[in-house]
Amino acid sequence: MAHIPDGVLSLPVGVAGWAGAAALTGFALRSLKEEAIPGTAILAAVFFTVSLVAVPVGPSSVHLLLSGLMGLMIGPLTAPAVLVGLVLQALLFGFGGVTSLGVNLVNIALPGILAGLVLAGPVARATPGRAGVIAGIGAGLCVAATGGGVALALALSSSDFVPSARIMLVTYLPLMAAEALITGFSVGFLKRVKPEALAGARP
Amino acid sequence: MIRRLALALALLAVTAMPAAAHRLKLFATIEGGTISGYAFFIGGGRPEGATIVIRDAAGTEVHREVTDGEGRFTWTPPAPGSFVVTVDAGDGHAADIRLGEERFGPTVSAPTTTMPTAQALPADTAAIEAAVDRAVARQIRPLLEAYDEAEGRVRFNDIVGGIGMIVGLAGAALWASSRRRGKGGS
Repeated sequence: MAHIPDGVLSLPVGVAGWAGAAALTGFALRSLKEEAIPGTAILAAVFFTVSLVAVPVGPSSVHLLLSGLMGLMIGPLTAPAVLVGLVLQALLFGFGGVTSLGVNLVNIALPGILAGLVLAGPVARATPGRAGVIAGIGAGLCVAATGGGVALALALSSSDFVPSARIMLVTYLPLMAAEALITGFSVGFLKRVKPEALAGARP
Repeated sequence: MIRRLALALALLAVTAMPAAAHRLKLFATIEGGTISGYAFFIGGGRPEGATIVIRDAAGTEVHREVTDGEGRFTWTPPAPGSFVVTVDAGDGHAADIRLGEERFGPTVSAPTTTMPTAQALPADTAAIEAAVDRAVARQIRPLLEAYDEAEGRVRFNDIVGGIGMIVGLAGAALWASSRRRGKGGS
């Protein structure tokens, strides 16, 4: 799903993905503060393990991404966290690939970062319950955006692997629901016990 | 912070246990001139309704079908040759496998009446060879399947190693940033 393997993307798409990934990661690391490092590492570890667990759905299989949660908690640092997770998955398990790593990073991290930027304010002002609902909806939209990005990258590359809209819908809808539920409960919980953990997108 | 750490660790423990994963693979073998096999996701699950495309050496599409509920496909080419089998789950998951012409063995149609005598005639040796070929293919198929599955398994060691790598990176970043501050930076 979000891990496009090697040999599927065309060269310009792969290069553009790498450029976008480098820009996102570079921008995030320039503003890296010391106290943000442990949280980023923990979320990188969570992303690394959580996206290894896949559930078969019809002709495909899906896994959680938690990009919306990452965007709310660590903001732009989502990019380096996803980068570390993807590199390790590619090297240890052969998920995704080296040439497609940039595209995969942009597809996963960019929606999360945008969600963090847009939703950090409303989440900070809302009550824990409402914050959970807002974050859940945001996380669902992040998954949809990732799916859209994957479809776009494949469509731009060649006509061989254009995803069928029906399969995308069948596989992404349950994932959106699961992701929304998990992110919603996590954000509601964090909002109650440690609200400052959700201030990732703010400088 | 302690509580947050505990939450993260609990989440890790829960997610690390079912070592299922997310990569499409293809298994294919040739028995008696028929290509058969199945697509599977590492860690479990067979794609139902995924598209199988078989191309010949020149890259021309020679066969196309959709996998059944167990992810299986089967096709008998009109003549032996080298083929490339590709599976596309329809959402960016794809895998392919190359089958060389040498995998087909001797081109003898199923023998009807062969009497293996002490002094086998030259004509019989080809038939015997074909029969042995089929028997061996049947016997080693489970081995090949087990090997393919074992090769792609998500191992607990690798997951722990990856997490250790992330902890190490965080340590290195903390060290670098404390060094910078020690020099009178920020």
